[in-house]
Amino acid sequence: MSDRTDETSIRLPESWRSKSTALLAVGAIGLLIGGAMFLWGTDQALASRYLVHSYLTNFIYCLSFGLGAIFFVMIHHLCRAGWSSSIRRVAELIASTIPWTAILFIPILLMVLSGSSMLYEWNQPKADLHGLTAEKTGYLNASFFALRSAIYIGLLIWMTRWYFRRSTTQDESGSVDLTLQMQKWSGPMIMIYALLVSFLAFDWIMSIDADWYSTIFGVYLFAGSMFGFFALMICLLMALQDSGVLTRQVNTEHFHDMGKFLFGFTMFWSYIAFSQLLLYWYGNIPEETNWYRERLSGGWAALGYLLIPVHFVLPWLGLVSRHVRRHRFGLTFWAVWALVAHWLDMTYLILPNSGPVSTVVIIAHLLVGLGMFAILISFWLRQASQVSLLAVRDPRLEESLAYTNPLL
Amino acid sequence: MAEFSDEHALLDAARKVKASGYTQTDAFTPFPVHGIDEALGIKPTILPFIVLCAGLCGLATALVMQIWMNAIDYPYIISGKPYKSWPAFIPVSFELTVLFSAFTTFLGMIALNRLPRLSNPVFTNPRFDRVTDDKFFLYVDSRDKYYNSQAVHDLLKGSHPEALFEVEEDSSSSSVPTWIYYTLGSVILASMIPAMVVFLMRNSTSEKPRWHVFFDMDFQPKKKPQQKTTIFADGRAMRPQVVGTVARGQLDQSDPFYLGYDPNQPTAALLKGNQLVAMPIQDGGQDPKVDSSSTATPSDSKPAEATAPTSDATQAQIPAAAPAAAPAAAPAAAPAVSPSVADGGQAAAPQAPAAPMGIQRAWITEFPLPVDPGLIALGKKKFETYCSVCHGISGTGDGLVARRADQLAQGYWLPPTSLHDPKVVAQPIGQIFYTITNGKGKMAGYGASIDPRERWAIVLYIQALQRSQDARLEDIPQEKSAAASGPTGG
Repeated sequence: MSDRTDETSIRLPESWRSKSTALLAVGAIGLLIGGAMFLWGTDQALASRYLVHSYLTNFIYCLSFGLGAIFFVMIHHLCRAGWSSSIRRVAELIASTIPWTAILFIPILLMVLSGSSMLYEWNQPKADLHGLTAEKTGYLNASFFALRSAIYIGLLIWMTRWYFRRSTTQDESGSVDLTLQMQKWSGPMIMIYALLVSFLAFDWIMSIDADWYSTIFGVYLFAGSMFGFFALMICLLMALQDSGVLTRQVNTEHFHDMGKFLFGFTMFWSYIAFSQLLLYWYGNIPEETNWYRERLSGGWAALGYLLIPVHFVLPWLGLVSRHVRRHRFGLTFWAVWALVAHWLDMTYLILPNSGPVSTVVIIAHLLVGLGMFAILISFWLRQASQVSLLAVRDPRLEESLAYTNPLL
Repeated sequence: MAEFSDEHALLDAARKVKASGYTQTDAFTPFPVHGIDEALGIKPTILPFIVLCAGLCGLATALVMQIWMNAIDYPYIISGKPYKSWPAFIPVSFELTVLFSAFTTFLGMIALNRLPRLSNPVFTNPRFDRVTDDKFFLYVDSRDKYYNSQAVHDLLKGSHPEALFEVEEDSSSSSVPTWIYYTLGSVILASMIPAMVVFLMRNSTSEKPRWHVFFDMDFQPKKKPQQKTTIFADGRAMRPQVVGTVARGQLDQSDPFYLGYDPNQPTAALLKGNQLVAMPIQDGGQDPKVDSSSTATPSDSKPAEATAPTSDATQAQIPAAAPAAAPAAAPAAAPAVSPSVADGGQAAAPQAPAAPMGIQRAWITEFPLPVDPGLIALGKKKFETYCSVCHGISGTGDGLVARRADQLAQGYWLPPTSLHDPKVVAQPIGQIFYTITNGKGKMAGYGASIDPRERWAIVLYIQALQRSQDARLEDIPQEKSAAASGPTGG
């Protein structure tokens, strides 16, 4: 036991801790340059539209890792999983970036409350709205939107803190009761989580096209979030191991399993994305196809077609073999790939609503994205430097350390 | 064969056996033991590759099948999609991929494990029965090329097994009893009988009526027209209209609101050769006494009387018409009226479509309902829903269907009429209403799908459209005419 939990191998390396502030600065600079490029580099009439859409895209991108992480933690407890005990703390740390990431939503909330309809077209006087949107103002209005957003953020923070606090308390006390408690509440919390993610996706992303609706949209965001989360987990753990942390506690078997999840969620995302497309394609009703029509015009069509190989075919073929999933470089490659694919997917959900695409838009959007991602990692480092990277007194830790995949 | 009471002892022993170089080994456990594969040195299976290939085969089969069936062998447009619609193919492709993979996984696992193996010598020792309960067994085959009985015994003894025993080769005959072959053969032959019967039936002719395995709706307990019945005293399955009732649609035969013309003012054209058309109307116009005495039963004529209340105008004209029509009308009236009454509900139908085209009726020229902006808005909506696909949004005959037909240039397409054609503009509103209701040329009647109020609304909207293409300066309100005349004049 002592060999497995000695301080140096379960603490964030000193070299990493110091980078937190630097990354925050880098992120802020990225945001500023990206924002400036939008404001002065693009068509003046659309410049601020581009900026807010890009900002929202990247905010959702960063939030989605936390969304995936909290689900992973809850499902771990729900299934009384043993294998994932040794990687659970890293997931908990990703989840606990949510309270910080949520700060980044404040500008959007303020924008909505100030009556701007640049992002959400429903945020106008009812007289100016038409068709279905006008009928939806009972739900889609600034104050109710703000209230719901506060509830989503509040619930997410509460959930992540609830799990994080119990898990870290166990590091000290080693109490098995805490594990039982977390198990007991994981079921109800997952139900709340399912509703929360669905409505969050409806309100924050889908209502940009206030006329359009898709009941599967929440699941779509969830599928993408899980895909992105496992990619980030693999990347973080690989990087941590390269710095000599968790090298004996996380092994090929754990990476193999995360690789399986990454593979599975490639498939799941495609299944959901296609389910949504098929119904609208088949029905071919103008008000339903409009969402896809916007994504087939203004130069965005290429992005949509790109997602098919980038988010599905290539990672599917790449990860189908167990040899790749057990190979350090192979898995890292596809994890990084998945981070990019997930970013493209989030871009596809939001950015086409802003206006036609151009090189400047792509570069500026990328800069904002990198900036936001750097801020997310900075938040993660800030969280991770305070606790151990391993749930050292988890009752199932031994099981996790001894875990092996059955040989096929 | 060595017996152990827990999986850790088994794993230890297995590692030792493997380290000693034995490869023809096997382990038997009541539940899957993690790590036993490595401990025994079992090579990874090739099943995943087989399954991957089978999955790709399934994918290819599904795609080839769908493309062949839907695009080549029997090209058929479904929901207006192209013959080769990839999105539509994906669900089937997905399912077949999964189906092929699943079957291959299951059957491949069985085949690779050389199952089913009906007899295994390990079962000869009763101790082995507890393998499905709580004991773990390790087996070293004597056919292993390094096998040495003493060495294996020593090796296994070193891991402290609960018991150690030799597996006796089963001495009983390994051949399958012949009665099994006979039974199997009989079952197979018997199972062919239904298929043979079907084959025989499909390839032979017979004068007997076919077998009804399932009756479906071939025989129904119902009566058809002209059949007899014992239910009613008069023995007629067909029932006359009940006295004092009005069938659906019967009222519509006399009201200009439903017709577009005034049926009580038949014009010259009506009298020329259309007794049949005129009959139901004339029935009402005629003296009921004459009617009942000459043709139908009182029950037939009374509803007709109710439907067409006699007006002064018809009173004046009918006597002139009656002598001319009477000889033909008398026999014609009965078949024309009775079936419609018997059918109950379709009474309105026989009258309108029978009218030859181009007949000059007493078209009405005033809207039979209040005209207001709401009505014109309704008309716009309904026009754009029903009419604009052919006649175009602005009524010039350039609807989507017409444009597509022009593109296809198939030669037999009759372009839709422009509603701004002077001939159409000259038509009274009643005639336009009549055309919407009953159709004209290739245009189908819309009486069944658009209710009368909406049809009038469409007529009103068409008038507005016509006016929009043929507006005069005086039509423009005074305060706006100056602005309008500016650009047009200049």
